[in-house]
Amino acid sequence: MSTTNHDRHHAAIRGTLARSAGDSPDASAIAEATLNTWRRMADRLAPVIGARGVDALFGRSLHVTSKTFPWLAMAGNDGSNAALLTGLKARLAGQEPAAAAEASDALLGNFTELLTTLIGASLTERLLAPVWLPSPSESEQESAP
Amino acid sequence: MNNNVVIHRLATGVPGLDVILGGGLPEFSFNLIIGPPGSGKTTLAHQMMFALATRERPALYFTVLGEPPLKMLRYQQQYAFFDGDQIDESIRFVNLSGDVSTGNFDQVLARITQEVAVFSPGLVFVDSFRSVMLEAQRQPEGAIGLQQFIQQLGILLTGWQTTTFLIGEYSLEKETHPVFTVADGIVLLDQNVHRNSMVRKIQILKMRGQATSPGIHTFRISSAGIVVFPAALVRDDPGTAAATDRAPRIEARLAMGVPRLDDMLGGGLPAGYSLLVAGPSGSGKTILATAFLAEGVRRGEPGAIVAFEQTPSQSRVRTIDQMVRAGQIGLINTRSLDLSIDEIVQRLVDLIQRMKATRVVIDSLSGFELAVAPTFREDFRESLFRMVAVLAGLGVTVLLTSELEDRYTDLRFSPYGSAFLTDAIIVQRYIEVESRLKRVMAVVKVRGSAHSNELRQFEITAEGIVIGDPVLDYEGLLSGQPRRTLASGPID
Repeated sequence: MSTTNHDRHHAAIRGTLARSAGDSPDASAIAEATLNTWRRMADRLAPVIGARGVDALFGRSLHVTSKTFPWLAMAGNDGSNAALLTGLKARLAGQEPAAAAEASDALLGNFTELLTTLIGASLTERLLAPVWLPSPSESEQESAP
Repeated sequence: MNNNVVIHRLATGVPGLDVILGGGLPEFSFNLIIGPPGSGKTTLAHQMMFALATRERPALYFTVLGEPPLKMLRYQQQYAFFDGDQIDESIRFVNLSGDVSTGNFDQVLARITQEVAVFSPGLVFVDSFRSVMLEAQRQPEGAIGLQQFIQQLGILLTGWQTTTFLIGEYSLEKETHPVFTVADGIVLLDQNVHRNSMVRKIQILKMRGQATSPGIHTFRISSAGIVVFPAALVRDDPGTAAATDRAPRIEARLAMGVPRLDDMLGGGLPAGYSLLVAGPSGSGKTILATAFLAEGVRRGEPGAIVAFEQTPSQSRVRTIDQMVRAGQIGLINTRSLDLSIDEIVQRLVDLIQRMKATRVVIDSLSGFELAVAPTFREDFRESLFRMVAVLAGLGVTVLLTSELEDRYTDLRFSPYGSAFLTDAIIVQRYIEVESRLKRVMAVVKVRGSAHSNELRQFEITAEGIVIGDPVLDYEGLLSGQPRRTLASGPID
């Protein structure tokens, strides 16, 4: 995957999350925004790759992301997607806002990258484009690491 | 006045497929694409979908268990026909796994109905339908059965004016299965592995309302997608009929590019004839063929050559190369070992039409036989016959070379017993004279024309073939051990 795609996806995810969480959000607002964005992504993808396909990719993304953010790891997860999402929301809400924002960026970013490696950048972009919201301000997109 | 319904035929976008379908796919038909795993069903479906789907005629692709849709999208993208821009514009994928796994066909039907109503597709694909049928076995008593389900689906989709494809691994033993009766069209894909070659085959088992090309056709899957090589193109050709009444009216003759050979042929090779040049290895068949093409180029008659064996260092081959590079003749050079004859014929016909070629060389039949997939070798003679017929139908003049095992106990012209296939035959032999190998050549037949019956000595020089005088004072030349009949000087 090219760096440009990588950057574009991350910028889109950051923008969407920031827009969705509102101004100076607390951790629970970030958790709420993350789940909303995720649901919109899943709604777009499920008809195409199947709900099971979406769940499998999400489970893997969560696993990969918890290497960087160990507090995300869901020990003893029974595999149900609903439980996974409830757990994710609680964990995000329990963090400092900055850490929660960073983790949710990383999670959705990893998911998008995983999808890209499987079905290619153009198809991924085509499927997910309607999910992304314009970011609240351009500067926010640029200043993030 | 005829008010009968006119069935529109859709161009499938798969080269060759429309021909064997009998002119395209009938609009609003209910079709099955069946075959074993890996036979190219999904690829065929996708290729047709990307070609047929438009904003006005969108496509709905239902995926059902079977192949995970992620993988399908991943692999189908490798083909040139996959156009991501069409997805969600004119093509929509819908995954039905959840609905099917409930085992409730009413629910599946309702879901399909709902999606069809929302998207108003002109094309519907269900891949793979086998998964649906497997679920059917787990149906509780009294529930809607598979047969009813298929009939209702057929009625529903025809009502919505969709052209439908069900894709699945059905075996033909179950041909009585209701789905086979309901379907308007059945396309069977297959692959045969024989030794080290793999040949893909396609058959139209049924297509209501139109005359399809019967029999088994071959196809190939490359990065561009599927290309079908219709065998019927050969069988339906009028060339065979024409061959019988062609002899009396020889309109023009072609110069062979070898001095004195035209005289031996009775004034050149009649246009539209096929000529077999048979001889042992190294006797000069390819040189003769090259001269034939070069003479054509000199006279502004483009040529085409199918070369199955080549040694690039040879000077005569450079001549072919030069002509090919100059765009004067077309070349099909292949050493692949899994060709079908139909594929070669198709490529050759395309080349002839593109080059407007009138002179065609196939060098050699022995190489051709090797290049053809083993599964076709049994029918090689029949296939040669069809190929010659097709080429005759195009009106081109054909020169075929054939390796002839050196046997001095019998007189043979071709290892395939195919000498009767061609209109003219030239045979080349080695003879032993005074402890030296000499070459002789004779015209064995030119259909409907007088020709020389002399055995002529010839040599291969830097300028090409040089034909000498008739060998008059020897006999038993074809035995390989000629005896001098007169006390004249030795032949030289």
